[in-house]
Amino acid sequence: MAIRPTFLAFQTASRALAASQANIDVTGNNIANVNTPGYTRQRVDQTSISAGGYTQKYALPGISTGFGVNISGITQIRDPFLDARYREQSAESARYDTIVQGLFDLEGVFDEASTPGLMGEFESFVEALQTLSQTPSAPDIALIARTAAQKITQIMNVYATQVNQVREQQIFDLSRVLIENNFNTKVKGIADLNDQIRKEQTYGNVPNELYDRRNLLIDELSEMANIRVSVLPENISEDIVVERLTISLHDPRDGSNVSLIDGGFHNFLYTEVEDGRVSIGIASSFEAPADNDITAHIAGGSIRGYLDLINGTGLNEFRGAPYYLDAIDDLAANFARVFNELNQSGGVDKPLFSASGGGGAITAANIRISDEWLDDASFITTTHLDGDGGENVIRMISALESETVFYKNGDVALPTVFSGSFHDYLSGLIGEVALDAELYQNYSDTSANVQNGLFAARESMSGVSLNEEGINLMAYQKSYNAAMRYFTVLDEAVDAIINRMGLVGR
Amino acid sequence: MRITNRMVTNQFIRSLNDMSLEMNRLNMQVITGRKFSRSSENTSAAVKGFRIRKDLSRADSYLQNIDHAKASLGDAESALTHINALMNTAEERILAGLNGTMSRETRSILAEELSHLQEQLYQTLNSSTAGSYYFGGTNTKVKPFSIGDDGKLVYNQAVLRDLTSAAADALAKKSLFVDIGLDVQFDAGTGQLDERTVFAYSVPGLTVVGSGTKELSSGENVSANLYDLLGELIGELESDSYTYDRADALFGAFQEAKERIISAITGIGAKTSYLTFMSDRLEERQIGLKERQLDVEGIDPAEAIIHFESQKFAYSAALQMGNQILQPTVFDFMK
Repeated sequence: MAIRPTFLAFQTASRALAASQANIDVTGNNIANVNTPGYTRQRVDQTSISAGGYTQKYALPGISTGFGVNISGITQIRDPFLDARYREQSAESARYDTIVQGLFDLEGVFDEASTPGLMGEFESFVEALQTLSQTPSAPDIALIARTAAQKITQIMNVYATQVNQVREQQIFDLSRVLIENNFNTKVKGIADLNDQIRKEQTYGNVPNELYDRRNLLIDELSEMANIRVSVLPENISEDIVVERLTISLHDPRDGSNVSLIDGGFHNFLYTEVEDGRVSIGIASSFEAPADNDITAHIAGGSIRGYLDLINGTGLNEFRGAPYYLDAIDDLAANFARVFNELNQSGGVDKPLFSASGGGGAITAANIRISDEWLDDASFITTTHLDGDGGENVIRMISALESETVFYKNGDVALPTVFSGSFHDYLSGLIGEVALDAELYQNYSDTSANVQNGLFAARESMSGVSLNEEGINLMAYQKSYNAAMRYFTVLDEAVDAIINRMGLVGR
Repeated sequence: MRITNRMVTNQFIRSLNDMSLEMNRLNMQVITGRKFSRSSENTSAAVKGFRIRKDLSRADSYLQNIDHAKASLGDAESALTHINALMNTAEERILAGLNGTMSRETRSILAEELSHLQEQLYQTLNSSTAGSYYFGGTNTKVKPFSIGDDGKLVYNQAVLRDLTSAAADALAKKSLFVDIGLDVQFDAGTGQLDERTVFAYSVPGLTVVGSGTKELSSGENVSANLYDLLGELIGELESDSYTYDRADALFGAFQEAKERIISAITGIGAKTSYLTFMSDRLEERQIGLKERQLDVEGIDPAEAIIHFESQKFAYSAALQMGNQILQPTVFDFMK
């Protein structure tokens, strides 16, 4: 049997004390950070030590006790799978949230649920025309009809301006606020943290606090785009392995990736406006993609939400600001077309509406009352027959009521975009934006619910529970006391051996 | 599953926020009296609401048009009543004259009286309201009646005496229209207004006074309109070759022409009662539409307030719970 060194157990007791102390320290750290955003609860990794086999190679086999406890490190309790799920979900949630906000802005432009807008003006115009049909030759009533028509053109101008403003604001938010300030700053922050973490790891440290900061930044980054995070081990020398964190944008169509961050390297995003469309470019400092335009790679996150709102034409894509601009342009052009046709008198064109600044196609932004009508309110053709009847006014009212064919840009040579009354067109337009808002609000709610579930799951894994820490604290205090007691026992035993053993008969 | 502080507080904050949102929504309902303040809260109801608003606005217009037509018909009716009174007087006078033997002087006095009445008839036929002549059909700006060089009555540049009955019909058809919600239609081919789908409210003067000629029993053709007939009578009375027979024959033609006034007044009565019927119907429709609007967009205030109160209760209960949401931990019991 191996000979047991006298002071062997002192080491065991000392390690037991140290272990309890470390546990108390970590518990304290956990309690202190109970409300710190991004904090991941930590745990002391401890193992029991046994006497190794080799040292006893030539000893006689016998009973051997363990040598106590060993503290191998302090690690975080975190589940990478949950992180990935959470981040995927937050990209989705943030996209929906952004879209809902944008759609609410657009709805605010068109909606007439609480306050009358264009539809209300169309009704006023019909009412004015009805009055005109009663006394078609009265110039003062003709003036009222013209004023009503003028209000329609003005509201159309306002709609166009407001939709453009909403869009401009979104472009500003996307390029200046979201990408330049938020996204790129976070990308750089993560790359810097990667550097620091690498250094710490090279020295063999476990920088838990840096991990927390980095994870928090990645969480925030995941709200902006559909990022994919991967961590690979990297051998920097024979026996030192550090981790290398890479973040890329994943294109769901072909599965290709665009690198954003690789260790300490990072690429910045920028926005570009071309032909009224906003695209996202990448300024590569490493791993440059074949094409700098990576708009298609961004499939989620608030950046995608903004792109949908800013670029969405409604043709095989989202119905964003351009779609609604087109829609009111078509409305303005067709309204002008129908009324200018109706106002023809004896085969002579007498346009009631024109584009401001002379010729060119009529759009919602430039539609206005023609100069001729502005000069003379009675320019409106009330009758095609002799006398002072108003049958043409009734024809105009009827045109507003009955089914009208809407051509793209009001051009009869272009395809038909809609067939129905002006009221149908407008209420369809408002219905569309409202339905989209309603739909995306539902998506957003559902997505937020899923994310809350994931938050809870993650929190359940990594969050600090005060009860748990309290009980741990009590347990570690007891184990600390016990370790001290063990010391005393050892001490007493050695004291007995040294001072009192072999004194018989003295 | 481990329950951590942050999970509990997060969940609580979220529910509080949800409850506040719901409270705000209910509060808006009570304040505005509307089910929704933006369309996306209830798109289908909003679109229905837009349709109802449009129908309401149309009904309003139709009612205004009916009022206008009624007022015009009323004006014409009072003018016609006046004309009728004038012609009654003329009839009495002529009748009284024809019944006795008239000296040259008496005939002159009667002719004088009749020419005053004739003048008044002419003026009343050219009456107007707010600068618009109401016996002119579609012509409202120019006096519809005038006197030709030969002293004959002219209606809208047409000498009444010379009108064929077809031409007279065409002229009588020229009327002002209003849309009273009969679903206005236009002929697909010619693009002309289908007059059955609108309401014609003009009383063309020519149908009141008559047109063309009338053959007397003596075989003589005289102008058939009231004015010209009065003129003929006056001429006969003043004539040196006055005969009772011709005067009596002219008087017969006059009496016959006079009937037109009564039938015009009756016609107006029929039109007015039709308009009243239409406006009653439209008003009923308006009430129906307003009820539906309330149904679609409005809230029942009692119900909304009850919902709001119960939500308020739930909210306060949640707040009270909030006090206790962070339950004591093991720390509170450590010694």
